[in-house]
Amino acid sequence: MIKNRIKTVKVLDTKIECKDVKTITLNMEGLQTQNYPEPLPGQFLMIWVPGIDEIPMSISGIDDEGNWQITVKKVGDCTKKLFNLEKEEFLGFRGPLGNNFSIPTNQNSKIFLVGGGTGLAPLRFLSQKLTSEDFEFILLEGAKLKKELIYINEFENNFNNSNFYICTEDGSYGKKGLVTETFHSLLNEYSKSKNKIYVYSCGPEKMLYEVYHLSERVNVELQVSLERIMRCGCGLCGLCSIDPVGFLVCKDGPIFTMKQLKKMDDFGKFKRDFSGKKIQI
Amino acid sequence: MLDVNLSGLKLSSPIILASGILGVSYSSMKNVIDAGAGAVTTKSIGPRKRIGYKNPSIFEVYPGTFVNSVGLGNPGIDDFIYEIEEIKKYEFPLIVSVFGDSTKSYIEVAKKAEKAGCDAIELNISCPHAEVSSIGIDKNLTYSLVRDVTSNLNIPVLVKLNPNVTDIIEIALSAEKGGANAVVAINTLQAMVIDINTRQPILSHGSGGLSGKAIHPIAIKKVYDLYKHLKIPIIGCGGISNFKDVIEFFSGLSHKFKTQEVPDYD
Repeated sequence: MIKNRIKTVKVLDTKIECKDVKTITLNMEGLQTQNYPEPLPGQFLMIWVPGIDEIPMSISGIDDEGNWQITVKKVGDCTKKLFNLEKEEFLGFRGPLGNNFSIPTNQNSKIFLVGGGTGLAPLRFLSQKLTSEDFEFILLEGAKLKKELIYINEFENNFNNSNFYICTEDGSYGKKGLVTETFHSLLNEYSKSKNKIYVYSCGPEKMLYEVYHLSERVNVELQVSLERIMRCGCGLCGLCSIDPVGFLVCKDGPIFTMKQLKKMDDFGKFKRDFSGKKIQI
Repeated sequence: MLDVNLSGLKLSSPIILASGILGVSYSSMKNVIDAGAGAVTTKSIGPRKRIGYKNPSIFEVYPGTFVNSVGLGNPGIDDFIYEIEEIKKYEFPLIVSVFGDSTKSYIEVAKKAEKAGCDAIELNISCPHAEVSSIGIDKNLTYSLVRDVTSNLNIPVLVKLNPNVTDIIEIALSAEKGGANAVVAINTLQAMVIDINTRQPILSHGSGGLSGKAIHPIAIKKVYDLYKHLKIPIIGCGGISNFKDVIEFFSGLSHKFKTQEVPDYD
């Protein structure tokens, strides 16, 4: 399958989102002519930085010309090199890989997108899709500090105060506190209505675990995007296996539903390192 | 109906998950058994934790054909005992693939795996992109390692053969002479892929091993040749993606056969 082959493409554009975070647009022109499969919100790419490493990254959007975007935070050797890539430089990718967020079937559904840090990346892509299909939704963005918030100008331009909430832990921008606290109060408010509630979430796993618990109480359709260390990205190596069911984040995920999360002992607690050893999150 | 007795290993089906694929976590291995395998082989486990090579370490080159160079990344036998014990709760045959950096460490890892409850040991002497390949290309080293390991264990020992040799029969006969209960043929073939835009090898290690559909006819030929000379069973392995590939191995070739359960990635 062509999705699992590594192809190199040029960087078309880069955009600083905050001090350590950048959105990179891949030039897909050459591949579009070959009817290359289009990604769906929630899917990911294995991004190869030649000579350095290959890592899984959520697709954060598609530009008007159909070029794919990823949003990278400088944390290690590979992401640092990725962050410093300039226009016209080559990078490789495999994908789109994994499953995707399912969009509600009913326009009257109440929809929440809850993201923390760079976990906003797949939710940005989802928000593009929902907007294009005329869905209304509430977007919640959380970060530790104001300077770590991403996509702020874009979101503030696209959404108004009643459907875009910002939370910072130190209160330097938006509401003070955790994004899950604001989500909790909004959920209480909307759970009284008869409309079906959909919650989409991505971010640190401790945050996702809290979103899961809050959602469980009011019976909503929950879909979260999980992250694990991967070698193959296509169901072969088993590093991203979640015990005891053996869900593979790369192939069965990265998007998992409430029903699936309930079966995971590892969720919020354990992952495997690059050697395959189980470690605490 | 598909029951087989492989050198004392009683299997409900002759399909075995080959080493290297999904064999690092007990839950993935259980899913393979639930899908109908008669046994699973773990990823190769060594004496201590080893990170292995960086990514890219596995990717597809043609549909159904992969290159990989994981570099024997594994958690080490002491931490892997947890996975062995978990998988044995489900009571199905488990083959632990082992490697070491000396005869002593091969024995040590194999004995720990045996003690933890595994049903057979597969000796990895043939990984084409790590130092253990040096054993599998030498008939004397193969003989002495197999002899020393088998004499220290009470469970069957399988030897995985390296196809990157001048004469695979010579090595297989040495393994048989050393006391191997079966051989597994074949491991991956040495391979390399270069990206023409950046002119760099794609695998982080530079080169690695080829597996999947492209190597199936090669595996058939090796097993065909081995069958004429060996008395011990041969487990056919390489590029099996459907039942016809299994029957091809079975058709007058190996006594038993084995498939890599490559998940459907379409």
